[in-house]
Amino acid sequence: MSDKTIAVKTENLWKTYEHDGIEVHAVRDVSLTINSGEFVALAGPSGSGKTTLLNLIGTLTRSTQGKVWIAGRDVTNEPEGVLARLRLQSIGFVFQAYNLLPILTAAENAELSLLLQGMDPAERRQRVLDLFGRIGLNGLEDRKPNKLSGGQQQRVAVARAVVGEPAMVLADEPTANLDSHASDELLDVMEELNRDLGVTFVFATHDPRLMERAHRIVHIVDGAVASDEVKTVQNA
Amino acid sequence: MKKSPWWTIGWRNMGRSRRRTYITAAALAGGYFSIVVLVGLSRGIVAEMIANGTDLIAGQLQVHAPDYLPDKSIYETFGGVDRASIDSLLTIVESDPDISAAAPRVYAGGLIGSDNFTVPGQLMGVDVDRESSVSRIVRVDEGRLPRPGTNEAVLGGEMARQLEVAIGDELVVVAPSVDGSMGNDLFTVVGIYNSGIVELDATTVIVSIEALQYLIFLDEGQIHEIAAVVLDPWDAEDAADRLNPLLQSSGHEAEAVPWTELRPELVEYANLVSASEFIIVIVVFGMAIFGVANTMLMATYERRREFALLLALGASPWGVIKSVLAEAIALGFISILAGVVFTAPFLIWWHVAPLDLSFASGGFSMSGSYVSPVLRVEYPWSAIVVASVSLFGTAVLAATYPAIRSARLPAADTLAGR
Repeated sequence: MSDKTIAVKTENLWKTYEHDGIEVHAVRDVSLTINSGEFVALAGPSGSGKTTLLNLIGTLTRSTQGKVWIAGRDVTNEPEGVLARLRLQSIGFVFQAYNLLPILTAAENAELSLLLQGMDPAERRQRVLDLFGRIGLNGLEDRKPNKLSGGQQQRVAVARAVVGEPAMVLADEPTANLDSHASDELLDVMEELNRDLGVTFVFATHDPRLMERAHRIVHIVDGAVASDEVKTVQNA
Repeated sequence: MKKSPWWTIGWRNMGRSRRRTYITAAALAGGYFSIVVLVGLSRGIVAEMIANGTDLIAGQLQVHAPDYLPDKSIYETFGGVDRASIDSLLTIVESDPDISAAAPRVYAGGLIGSDNFTVPGQLMGVDVDRESSVSRIVRVDEGRLPRPGTNEAVLGGEMARQLEVAIGDELVVVAPSVDGSMGNDLFTVVGIYNSGIVELDATTVIVSIEALQYLIFLDEGQIHEIAAVVLDPWDAEDAADRLNPLLQSSGHEAEAVPWTELRPELVEYANLVSASEFIIVIVVFGMAIFGVANTMLMATYERRREFALLLALGASPWGVIKSVLAEAIALGFISILAGVVFTAPFLIWWHVAPLDLSFASGGFSMSGSYVSPVLRVEYPWSAIVVASVSLFGTAVLAATYPAIRSARLPAADTLAGR
């Protein structure tokens, strides 16, 4: 497989924190390759380091040691401005706590990355409306987040993550705050986007339902890759 | 032009905690109000002092013989033999667009005696008709002004008290003449004025210009001074600059001197007040800046996860700074609007209807000028601009540190609640 089809690659990745003079290795020597179009779960118990790994992959934090490539490009030592641009254009994020801006409507929240990219207002609104129709948020465009259910909010967050057509979406415990019904609906949406649009999804999760739907499960234990299991044929 | 997303975000953030926004905007608007009104008031006092210091007797511009000042020698006259020369001088002076009136004067020092008392005094010979358009000293409280060419006199109230004279009484006036002799004559008191400045009221006697010229042996065309009214006192220097070449080219040995040279202490006072305006601006907004900074710090601290989100999504740190500054600018805009809405009517009202505090305080003299107990405000246009710019500056400056802090948040740790 050429580098062009590799969404993200890490090599001997370490992340070490220091607490009261004691070094804590949140990520240990992780070498991982995720191809474009994969639907991958980073699974593990709380504190296993999966969120830290996700943040390293998403360039939200810098590694103590090792390297990270995004779409074949070494981003390990890139300056923050370059990383910000890379995130804006190539990576979508979905967070456990939704993290929608309360001052913006659902559609405006979903538009946020397009807004940051400077896209024309009419074009970005059309994109969001199309996406809302696809993921069952029709009619909720003008609602503020506090007028949406948890499931709806998380779907808006997913819309925000994918609307810019990034190469990869990183989702940190996306179903953690949702009931089973809302979780299933959200997973349906993400699976559909992965299947239809070829968006690469990488989840940090310990939700069995999500792991069940993932095509590949990378088990993280104490910051290291314990196992890497490919379950199904990729859709991309 | 495409609207920056940061304006949208900044503007919307204003409405998140409306009470906090209103309180902060009110504090800034209060600062704006304080500055504009305080500066307007101080300029009103200065304008009052300048008006009183020049309107009362000096005028905003004077024309003298070149060596008349500073000794005010009675020998340093200008003009000519007959009245026509004075009229030609007055025509030149009044031709200036900034000058609305002018009046010739003759001065002499002498002794003024009644039946029982004698006091030293300054005799001021005036063209009664013209003088009433130039100075307020000829506004008599009792009686009337002297008729041209008659030996009639108007005294200050304090001199009348010291001499124990009233309207209708006779005075003996003795004054050195320009020929070296002593001129003396009898004058009848026809009026009494009270300028508010006791020193002036105790020393100055107003007589007709013809009577004084006769007393000190001057030709009817010889005068010591032309006093002129300049519409805006601050234009007096320009008017003098324009007049001097005209006077020289007309063959008169005379020079125009603005009040700023005649009364430098008033200029110094005005400059002092002007300098103190900056202190007012610094003190008021200096206090406001900490309050606004505290508010912005709190507001941005509460939203640090949102800033972290923006950074995570790919906003540049500069973008985050812009969003906070946009909010500060929006706050400044609202504050200025509120400031203008509250300040403008108040300022106009006070300007139109000055506060009369005579029930609490009488007038007094300062630097030789009468300060009345009526407080008026001037429209301080420059202060309005300075206050507006300072208000924006305060809002933006107060937001700069919180903005930089927000832009430097570690996105991953902040989103994780660390």
